[in-house]
Amino acid sequence: MSALDVTFVTADRTVWTGQAAQVVVPAVDGSMGILPQMQPTLAILGTGVVRIIDQDGHVEALEVEGGFASVDADIVTIGVDDAAVVEPASSRL
Amino acid sequence: MGAQQRVYKQKIRSAQGMKKIFKAKEMVAASRIAKAHARVEATTPYADALTRAIGSVATHSNEISHPFLDNERSQTGRAGILLVTADRGMTGPYSHNVIRAAEQLANTLRDEGKEPVMYVVGRKGEAYYRFRNRVPQRSWTPYKEDELPRLGREIAAAVTEDLISEDPSVHLDELYVVSTRFLSRFVQKAHSVRMVPMGLGDVSGANAQTYPLYEFVPDAETVVGELLPRYIQSRIVNILLQAMASEHASTQRAMKSATDNAETQIDKFTRLANSARQAEITQEITEIVGGADALSGSGRTER
Repeated sequence: MSALDVTFVTADRTVWTGQAAQVVVPAVDGSMGILPQMQPTLAILGTGVVRIIDQDGHVEALEVEGGFASVDADIVTIGVDDAAVVEPASSRL
Repeated sequence: MGAQQRVYKQKIRSAQGMKKIFKAKEMVAASRIAKAHARVEATTPYADALTRAIGSVATHSNEISHPFLDNERSQTGRAGILLVTADRGMTGPYSHNVIRAAEQLANTLRDEGKEPVMYVVGRKGEAYYRFRNRVPQRSWTPYKEDELPRLGREIAAAVTEDLISEDPSVHLDELYVVSTRFLSRFVQKAHSVRMVPMGLGDVSGANAQTYPLYEFVPDAETVVGELLPRYIQSRIVNILLQAMASEHASTQRAMKSATDNAETQIDKFTRLANSARQAEITQEITEIVGGADALSGSGRTER
């Protein structure tokens, strides 16, 4: 199975980078799931939680407010102003 | 100890005290350059991601329009100049260089019939304009080094608002940024750049980078509308961080030469103090010899 190459950056630092199996981003018009082999997309993000699920099923959840996400040939780039790590308990919502 | 010697000793002590201060400031600045530079570098991935995203929208549709891309912005003739200066003194020529560059730019704009409007960051620049009775439109002072990204966002929000405002007393046609570029720890350059209207460059030329056909969520227009202000914001944050690194580098250089000068002063006054002491001794000897001569010349045998 191919994997996504994820880079999560904020204005002043790189928050998370690595391989993931699935990424869920809060696009302005609704939550958007990103899986490998997805068509190239450029999305504007609203307020919500970005979830990065790696191959072992471990979930990394980050709360964001506005930003953008681009998907291109399994390379996912998420850029936001600021991100706060969400505690694992609330990430299952 | 003679009066002259005492004066020199005092000057030596004062130069030694100043040398300690300069040395300390030099070392503090030197240690901060690397950290400040690392923060500049840390903004690069985000800026790259944004540039790629904007490039892909631009190639995708030729008829994207946005107020920031419009080259014919001439509603009021007001041109904003964002000037980044230092908050503190003892930075050598750092603040003067950017202020001079800003004044040059303002003169050029006036010659073109535009009205420059100042937006100033840092106490030094603000004081310069306030002293000349040309109070800047807005100023951000004082600022904290570790809050620069937040400050950058605040500035970006303020200028973006003025750029798109319909009120003729506030509206800006253009936006320029005058700041110091951090080329290396030895070379920093004051330079001015036009931020708005921005040129997208030749996106359809032969050597243009090719971007895949993107799907836009929700649509290309909204995506551009969201990305361009973000691009300005990321540029401003990057510029502020570069300016901070340059300020430290400039401080370090200025304090290095101040330390050297203090050393020269100490050397000079030590020499003078030595010769004053020697002169005093010589004089004492002359007096004693002279006295003894006078006594022996008088013909008296007992003292």
